[in-house]
Amino acid sequence: MFVFDTLSLVFVALILLGSVPNLFYSFGYLPHIERKMHYQLHYFAFIFSMLGVVVSANALVFLFFWELMSLTSWQLILTEVKEKSTISAAKFYFIMTHFGFLFLLLFFLIVTNGDLEMGFVQMKTVASVFAYPTLLFFFLLLGFLSKAGAVPLHVWLPYAHPAAPSPVSALMSGVMLKVAIYGLFRFLFDVLYPWPLEWGIVILSLGALSSLVGVLYALSEHDIKALLANHSIENIGIILIGFGMGMIFDTLQLKTLSTFSFIAALFHTFNHMSFKSLLFMSAGSVLHQTDTKNMEKYGGLIKAMPVTALTFLIAAIAISALPPSNGFLSEWMIFQSMLSSSHIDNVSLKLAIPFAIFALAMTGGLAIACFVKAYGITFLGLHRSSNAKHAHEVNFLMRTGMVFMAFVIFSLMLFTPFYIGWFDKVFVGLGRSSIYAKIFPEGIWHMHSVGINGGIVSPLILLVALVSVTLLMFFAYKLFGVKTRIHHTWACGYKTGAKTQYTATGFAGPIRRFFSWLYKPNEHFHKQTIAGHETKFSDSSYEVHVKPLFEAVFYDSLAKSVNFVSYWVYRLAHFEQTRYAAMIFNIMLMVLFSYRVFAHDFSWATFVLEFLVMMISVKILIIGDKK
Amino acid sequence: MIYYFGTIFVLVLIAPILLSYIKATKMLLLFKRPISLLQGYRNFSKLLQKETIISEESSAVTRWAPFLVLSPLLVILFFLPPVTQGAYYVSFVDAFTITGLISLSTFFLMLLGLDSASAFGGMGSSRESFIAALVEPAMVLTIFSVSLMAGNLGIGQAGVNLAEHFPKEHMASFLFAGISFFILLIAENGRIPVDNPETHLELTMVHEAMILDLTGVYLAIIESAASIKFVIFASLFASLFIPFGYGLIAPLAIGVFILKLFLIATLVAILEVNTAKLRLFKIPNLLGLSIVFAFLSLITFYVLGA
Repeated sequence: MFVFDTLSLVFVALILLGSVPNLFYSFGYLPHIERKMHYQLHYFAFIFSMLGVVVSANALVFLFFWELMSLTSWQLILTEVKEKSTISAAKFYFIMTHFGFLFLLLFFLIVTNGDLEMGFVQMKTVASVFAYPTLLFFFLLLGFLSKAGAVPLHVWLPYAHPAAPSPVSALMSGVMLKVAIYGLFRFLFDVLYPWPLEWGIVILSLGALSSLVGVLYALSEHDIKALLANHSIENIGIILIGFGMGMIFDTLQLKTLSTFSFIAALFHTFNHMSFKSLLFMSAGSVLHQTDTKNMEKYGGLIKAMPVTALTFLIAAIAISALPPSNGFLSEWMIFQSMLSSSHIDNVSLKLAIPFAIFALAMTGGLAIACFVKAYGITFLGLHRSSNAKHAHEVNFLMRTGMVFMAFVIFSLMLFTPFYIGWFDKVFVGLGRSSIYAKIFPEGIWHMHSVGINGGIVSPLILLVALVSVTLLMFFAYKLFGVKTRIHHTWACGYKTGAKTQYTATGFAGPIRRFFSWLYKPNEHFHKQTIAGHETKFSDSSYEVHVKPLFEAVFYDSLAKSVNFVSYWVYRLAHFEQTRYAAMIFNIMLMVLFSYRVFAHDFSWATFVLEFLVMMISVKILIIGDKK
Repeated sequence: MIYYFGTIFVLVLIAPILLSYIKATKMLLLFKRPISLLQGYRNFSKLLQKETIISEESSAVTRWAPFLVLSPLLVILFFLPPVTQGAYYVSFVDAFTITGLISLSTFFLMLLGLDSASAFGGMGSSRESFIAALVEPAMVLTIFSVSLMAGNLGIGQAGVNLAEHFPKEHMASFLFAGISFFILLIAENGRIPVDNPETHLELTMVHEAMILDLTGVYLAIIESAASIKFVIFASLFASLFIPFGYGLIAPLAIGVFILKLFLIATLVAILEVNTAKLRLFKIPNLLGLSIVFAFLSLITFYVLGA
């Protein structure tokens, strides 16, 4: 019923690393919540169900815990219903998660032949004789990626994560999404093993697309938690890039490179857990103190909340993949695995991979821009509203939670060889050969890429060098004894004020303008001009909102087409009896004709004739005159 | 070993001279009386004597960021390709680490801009983040292409390989990568046509806007960071794309290397005199060109092998 192999245990560790600091934070947050019993019950059930998912060994238990995880997190979103949008976010989440569940159920019904208590190993024998393995693969993708939040099933994340209480957002974004990644690892390796090349390419392209889409929409957000939720989409994309490269290398029989890419993906999964949890916790502390999610109302919080500011900075450096942070190391590994694509013989594939490299590099650059914005607007400068003015540091338990999570980030950075060795064991357990000795051939100081001519990085040396050079300069400066004077910022003779600072909207302005073909921003510009002069105005306001393209195109048009169909169903339900008779007649006609078409020789002439007859009879008998 | 530290020392010393040299060349070309090559040092020593004025609105970030801007760049100096044969070099650091360290430095510079609560700082950071985001993919692709030709991702080893076996058979992709890297050199260092380091006009400034509120030692640190960044890019360009003179005897090799740096500076100066600064929203076109050249370089390498 339960399985405790290395893959499961690694994910158990991930969940524990993500939840233990969160527990402290959550208890600090508790006085803020009114329905304490409801919250705690679902909170613990949520953590328990995630642990259940990763250790379950048959389909029934897996689906049970999976559903429990979805339902408890759904209830957790509904803990504090202050706005109407929370309810609709929860509804959206509920629908999306059950959309995924449906496909998982289909997958399991097929691979278990209906016997849901079958273990994963037996499933493989059933799956290997199933005629359409790609169908199974797509069921898996729809099932897990709707949970993980990859494009195009990512739309619920920026609604659901901000609506939940902050500790829950941290758990959902940091840990729950990773459980879906676990699902991909588990079932692609255990059940659907020999992968065709196309599957890897599908995952790689989804990953590249998700990473770009995620970071671009993150940049256009003013809501700090929605910004972080969009970054989860980006990071899931990065994980999928690593995963997809692993699958591609595996089909091309480059086993060492494949394992390297999978380790990179798994490492990034851990890293994303650490820094995204911390970011959500710090953002939650800010939210807790200022009572608003709108970044334009923050500013100058570093003075009032130094611990929060420092932890947010650490996490921001890590998520921007700046050396020597853990985020840099895992992204470095993913880059190295993509650069090893020069070993591939297939020229068209070889030419396609630089586009994924481009996407990942672009993502890195935009992520830096986004986190400079998030950090700078929130914590630096002057406070932009009275909400931010009266903020002060959060309570001890919440601070403890954040500091603990910062330690998790540091541990992932300092003990990289240990973690890599552990991830290596996962793949040994899944039937690969160990490559730890190839990544760290000369002890723990240098980390090698396994490709020929691959690069080398030495995180610890880098860290020591950076810290020592910085401290050296800082103390030299102190020794120098420079006279310091404190004075206002020079504002060209005007008074320095909060209103003249750059806003979050303004900061992202150039990028928003460059990508306006994608954003299609909805701008509201209003100004009260004086005496008809265009350039003189007493009062002005500018607001810009970006509705995600996927939502606008994909989901809204889906809703429209459903409306259209339901209109016809409605018409159908109000037909007279003669029309029903006519419909039955037409259906019989269609069955007869299609039988003829499929069972006998096909000729275009008869096909067109029969089609015409069908159309005419439908038009005359069913649709009738237009009223 | 002595050459290793010697080169680093020379690079640090030559950094302010190079920027003054660019300025002097430009002035000469514009029929003005050129400034002295030691102007950089004069500014530096003047700034060291001043008191530091810290803005009341700013926070601990302003006190730490200048050091964090400079230290990644100083660390990179130790990882550059060797200038002469037999010089010790750090062979293991790859180009991603170097681009990452440059980004780290830029990250703190952008935070510095936002810290002083001035509109200029935010403007500079915003623009810099826009440019940096577009530079990143071009940089990675160019590096990928060069590493294919050099047969190694480690930047030090790549420099040596290129110097020892110049990739004549891959001349086309080598040239494309070179063009791409030169555009990046200009963009990353804020030279015309991307940014004009000499004006303080709010319409155009990027780098200057971020550091408008700094004085004294802090400004000196940031200015030297800017000059060291230029030296890093120039020497990367010199070792990777003009890989000659490596085999000469040591003092001569270093001399040739310095000549190459001045050659690159001259090129930049000539370019600056002959072009106007681009509007901010035209810069993506230039950087897009760099991305296209990087792709071209890769495609020529893969498909034609040339």
